[in-house]
Amino acid sequence: METKLLSEFYHIDEYRGLAGYKAKGGYDVLAKALKMAPQAIIDEVKASGLRGRGGAGFSTGTKWSFLPKNNEPRYLLCNADEGEPGTFKDRMMMERAPHQLIEGMIISAFAIGSKKSYIYVRGEYFYAIGVLRKALEEAYAAGLLGKNILGSGFDHDMDVYSGAGAYICGEETGMISSLEGLKGQPKLKPPFPAVQGYLRKPTIVNNVETLAAVIPIIRDGAAAYKKFGTEKSTGTKFFSLSGNVNKPGNYEVPLGYSLKDMIFKLGGGLKPGRKLKAVIPGGSSAPVLTAEEAERATLDYECMAQMGTMLGSGAIIVIDDANCMVDCLGNLTHFYHHESCGQCTPCREGTGWLDKIVHSILSGKGRLADIDLLVKVADNMKGRTICALSDAAALPVLSFVQKFRPEFEYFVREGRSQVTGKTKEAVHGEMHH
Amino acid sequence: MAKCTINGKEVEVKDGTTIIQAMSGEKQDWQHGKVAHYCWHPGLSVAGVCRLCMVEIEGNPRVQIACNTVVTEGMKINNTSEKVKDAAKWGLDFHLINHPLDCPICDQAGECGLQDQYMEFGKYTPEMSEKKVKKHKVVDLGPTVVLDSERCILCSRCVRFTEEVSKTNELGIFNRGDHSEIGTHAGMELNNKYSLNTVDICPVGALTSKDFRFKQRVWYLKDAETVCNGCSTGCNVKVYFNKEGMFRVKPVFNKDVNSYWMCDDGRDIYKFVNKESRLLKAKKKTTGGNWEEMFPGAAAKELSSTVKAAGDGLALVVTGQYTNEEYEALFTNLKTKKVFHWVNSPEKHNDFDGLLIRGDKNPNTKGLQAVMQKHGITPGNWADLVAGLQSGNIKTLIVAAPEIAAVYPDIKHRVSEFEKAHNLVWLSSTKSVEVDLLTGNIWQIPMKSFVEKDGTFVNHGGLAQKFKKATTVVSEALNLGEAALLMSGAQIMVKPETSPFVETARPADRVTLENRKKNEFVFKRGTL
Repeated sequence: METKLLSEFYHIDEYRGLAGYKAKGGYDVLAKALKMAPQAIIDEVKASGLRGRGGAGFSTGTKWSFLPKNNEPRYLLCNADEGEPGTFKDRMMMERAPHQLIEGMIISAFAIGSKKSYIYVRGEYFYAIGVLRKALEEAYAAGLLGKNILGSGFDHDMDVYSGAGAYICGEETGMISSLEGLKGQPKLKPPFPAVQGYLRKPTIVNNVETLAAVIPIIRDGAAAYKKFGTEKSTGTKFFSLSGNVNKPGNYEVPLGYSLKDMIFKLGGGLKPGRKLKAVIPGGSSAPVLTAEEAERATLDYECMAQMGTMLGSGAIIVIDDANCMVDCLGNLTHFYHHESCGQCTPCREGTGWLDKIVHSILSGKGRLADIDLLVKVADNMKGRTICALSDAAALPVLSFVQKFRPEFEYFVREGRSQVTGKTKEAVHGEMHH
Repeated sequence: MAKCTINGKEVEVKDGTTIIQAMSGEKQDWQHGKVAHYCWHPGLSVAGVCRLCMVEIEGNPRVQIACNTVVTEGMKINNTSEKVKDAAKWGLDFHLINHPLDCPICDQAGECGLQDQYMEFGKYTPEMSEKKVKKHKVVDLGPTVVLDSERCILCSRCVRFTEEVSKTNELGIFNRGDHSEIGTHAGMELNNKYSLNTVDICPVGALTSKDFRFKQRVWYLKDAETVCNGCSTGCNVKVYFNKEGMFRVKPVFNKDVNSYWMCDDGRDIYKFVNKESRLLKAKKKTTGGNWEEMFPGAAAKELSSTVKAAGDGLALVVTGQYTNEEYEALFTNLKTKKVFHWVNSPEKHNDFDGLLIRGDKNPNTKGLQAVMQKHGITPGNWADLVAGLQSGNIKTLIVAAPEIAAVYPDIKHRVSEFEKAHNLVWLSSTKSVEVDLLTGNIWQIPMKSFVEKDGTFVNHGGLAQKFKKATTVVSEALNLGEAALLMSGAQIMVKPETSPFVETARPADRVTLENRKKNEFVFKRGTL
């Protein structure tokens, strides 16, 4: 069973409009929040144990408290550049409940004292951008944005900004660069955005789901929110279930939910005759789990960390036994090769190198030494760069090779896939030339 | 101040100093251990992208970049551990996997960051066996610089230079990932007065100077530090030369004068030093109207009687292109009240572009003024000179002509004025078409260029900079002081300079352009 803390009314079409949203109690929490002291809101969020839903899982309240205590103008940025392969929850949230995001953002902006915020939406989400723009118009018309919101004396302006479809702009400083009109490349840290972010001013960047989750926390209080989930992973979370399942889609469940139930109950199981082979639990950057690991995993930050992987953005990619793991990895290495911004050498060169090695194996020309080389290259890309893209490219390689090594060795030895019996020409490696 | 330990040695640094600054020291002498780096440059902002300058900090499980980590009190830094060495080795490997490794035909070979760091931190067996990324070669970036994108390691130094120093913003990195390339923005070319600094700071052979490329292998060049004589800024520079002549000029760091940079005009000063543009022998115009060649010393000696005979009719014209020491000798030995300061484009003298280039194209105007003042000389009006020449009051005119005549646009006009003198003595390091065409009693005596003598230039701000002789190009040339002494009638012996390039026993082994063309022969003998 899902626990619809945020998505309770997502099935109602009118919920997208201001009237429909208000009819279900929308913006009531904003009115409540505007009467609270900003620090009280921050304290409540901190107490709720809410962790960032974008992927890193960092405590939201703590992030907010990194802002310098002065009167400098500060910005709130909503990260809606949902680029992690397998993730599609933010899109649904923006398309089904734009006002929920806007309300959550106004409350958060009020808490941190920001007068201006932007929603940075990935370029391909043009439908969501349209929905958000319309919702913003409605909110302005209703006095929910602009000067003196609901008579509270708090002023706030909000804008939607369309990205151009680069994965790297989902990294918060890459997103800030892009918003500033620069090439979307992550910035060197320190300074961190909370100190010097957008336009060199203190900036908070939060995911769509994180900002929306502020609403139930303020409405019902931190204690009520903490009733959902586990001790260290509180509340509910959306999971984007995809891959070889019968009912793919977004599911909102309390954290700590069983991965097996997610696949076999909510997801309707696999196709007849197929067996579970592997699961990528938190977006393509998360190390893969074997079927055996997946069956005992729970969807919370602690269990995932303990299994050497991540909850990430909550994108669960299910892989059944009809898939060749070398081929799957080739798909991932191609993605990271294509998306590396090219700034830091280990990532710029390493992502290409990994992709070429995997594709040389896939074309049947691999050498046994290539398998160890993959591990060595990936190992030396980890933790050596400005942002985490390099790690994100290295982790799947390391886990795939470690957990499915026989399949790689078979491919090299026999020159064809153990699963499909075929090779795959290295089209990706030569793509750009 | 913060105290930290670098490789076991306690070091105290100013607050806000980064680890790499602490290690390199202000003089860039890397006293506390060398750190591999490409993107970091002391004169530019921190990019933190080459990921090579890894150091280990006690208490931190991951290696950190030294260029963006600020030293804090009690920090224990180490860059000699196996972990750091391995990180540097892999950092280098990532730089090299798509590098064409075309050192034999690369102009940077011999002074290449990749070669240097490989010998210091690499020396591994490469494992890359995939196809390398193809990129653009021989990209014409502008009038001065050529780009080879395959050699480029995308350190972004050149981009940051055009953003932060020249502020011309012509360059950018285009595309993404391992197909990123340096290039000029749409409709722009790399065309600014400082463009060649990008070649200096390029750690690899990606950016090469059109002027220098393919002229010499750098290991055939010697270098020496001197002061640029291109304008009154007095940038500290290094000149690169060998037996065949001068080949290039590069800036040397001086925080009070030019920081790490110099202008493109200054890069051309070597051209006025080379034999092709030099006055090699003294010349005397004979009654028949022909030029008779003489030894410079002999010519100056011969002139002593003419100078003596002139008495009060002797006049000097000086330019701000000689050293203090030479002016001192000139005014001591040739005493006359008639001294005239030849100033080029005086209306531009206070021009300044905000970075290095100044309107006064003489390296030592301030020095000349100071020496004249010391000798109680007030330079005369130019009109008086012209009138004196016309009336015959000025019989013998000695002109200390500019070394770089190109910055004296009025030279033709002035020379036609000088022609009226009964005797004209033209002291110059470079040959002059204008003077060659004159008629009358004329002597031309070759002077040493600025790289062939010791001396002092005083720059626009009054900073006196001493420099040493770098090499000899025209061995018989005199300096202004020697010429003045000889012309005053002193009995001295001026020995021709000997070349710093030692003659080898076997002429065939000498490194000359000729025998390098026949390098087959040289290599066979196994002597190069």
